[in-house]
Amino acid sequence: MKLKKTKVEPKVSAGSMADIAFLLLIFFLVSTNLLQDKGLMLQLPPDVPPTDTPIKDRNLFKVLINSKNEYLIEGKVRSDLAGLHDEVKMFVLNPSSNPSLSESPKKAIISIKTQRGAHYASFIAALDIIKESYYQMYGEQVGLSSEEYRRLNRNIPKEYSLYLKGKMNLPMNISIAEPDQISTL
Amino acid sequence: MKIKRKTGTNTEISTASMPDIVFLLLFFFMVTATIKVKDEQLNVNVPDAQAVNSVDKKFLIKELTVGFPKDVRLGHSPRISADKQMITLNQIGQWVQRQKTDLGEQYKDQMIVMLRADEKVDMGFIGDIQSELRKNNARKILYRTLVHN
Repeated sequence: MKLKKTKVEPKVSAGSMADIAFLLLIFFLVSTNLLQDKGLMLQLPPDVPPTDTPIKDRNLFKVLINSKNEYLIEGKVRSDLAGLHDEVKMFVLNPSSNPSLSESPKKAIISIKTQRGAHYASFIAALDIIKESYYQMYGEQVGLSSEEYRRLNRNIPKEYSLYLKGKMNLPMNISIAEPDQISTL
Repeated sequence: MKIKRKTGTNTEISTASMPDIVFLLLFFFMVTATIKVKDEQLNVNVPDAQAVNSVDKKFLIKELTVGFPKDVRLGHSPRISADKQMITLNQIGQWVQRQKTDLGEQYKDQMIVMLRADEKVDMGFIGDIQSELRKNNARKILYRTLVHN
C-alpha cells in the first residue's frame, strides 16, 4: 500500500505579528513613563558655621510661615499670597528709591523661614511666587515672558546670551536659612 | 484592433510593513522610557508650582521620596524612601555617598537631589533632610512639583 504524503509548506503566518507587536507596544506605553524632572531648583548653603554677616533690614524681604500655614510678610499677617509678585518685584528693583525697600537688586535678599509645623505646600507656594517674580524680571530685561525665559535653551549660543543678559545684575538671593542665623541691623 | 481594458484595480493597501512600523515605535519607547519606579509604600501628592525649570542632564537627578506610609502599621509620621527602600534620616548621608560614587568623579559635585515630597509633610522634617544633604555636600535640590494651570 502506498501512503500518500501531502506536502506541507513550512510557512509561518505573519499576520499576527502586528498584533504581538502592538501588545508589546501597549505594555511598554503603560508600564513606563518619561523621567519627570520639572520642579523648583534651589542651591542650599554650604554646611559651615553661619557667619554673622550684617545685613541691613531694608535689604531683607522676610517671609515667615507659621504652623497654621499663615504668612507673615514684611511684618504683616496674611492668609494668602495675593499680590506677592508685585511686592517682590518692587522690593528688588525699587524703581522709586524708597528707603524702606532694597538698596540695589544685587543686595536684595528674600528670606523664607518656616516653623517646623508648616506644611511643605505653603513653603513651595511662597518659593514658587518668589522664583516666578524673578523670572518675570529676567524676562522683562530681554523682552520675554517668564515662561519663554525659563524655556531658553542654554546650549544654543544665541539663547544663552539672552539667558545671561536677563540674569544680569539680578542675582536670585533666596535664603531659606533660619532667620535667627541672619542678624539684622 | 482590440484594446485590452484593465479590469479590477487592486485597491488594497499592503499591511505587510505594519509590523515593522509598530516595532519601530516599540523600540523608540523602549529606548526613551525608563521603567516606572513607583513608590508603592508611600503616599505622595506633590504640590503645584508655576516657575518650574527642567534639567538638561537627566542622569544627574537622584530621587528622594518623602511621604506618609500607606501601611498604617508604619505609623502616621512622614518617612523617606530612596530607590524603593525606606531609609531614616541618618542613612541619607550613606545614600548620598553611594549616589555620588555611581555618578563618578566627573559629575559627583553636580548631583541634583530631587525631593519628591507630599504637600502635607511638615517643614521641620524637610529642614532636617536638607541639613543632612548640606552635611554631605549635596546642595543642589530640585523640589519636584506639578505644573499648575
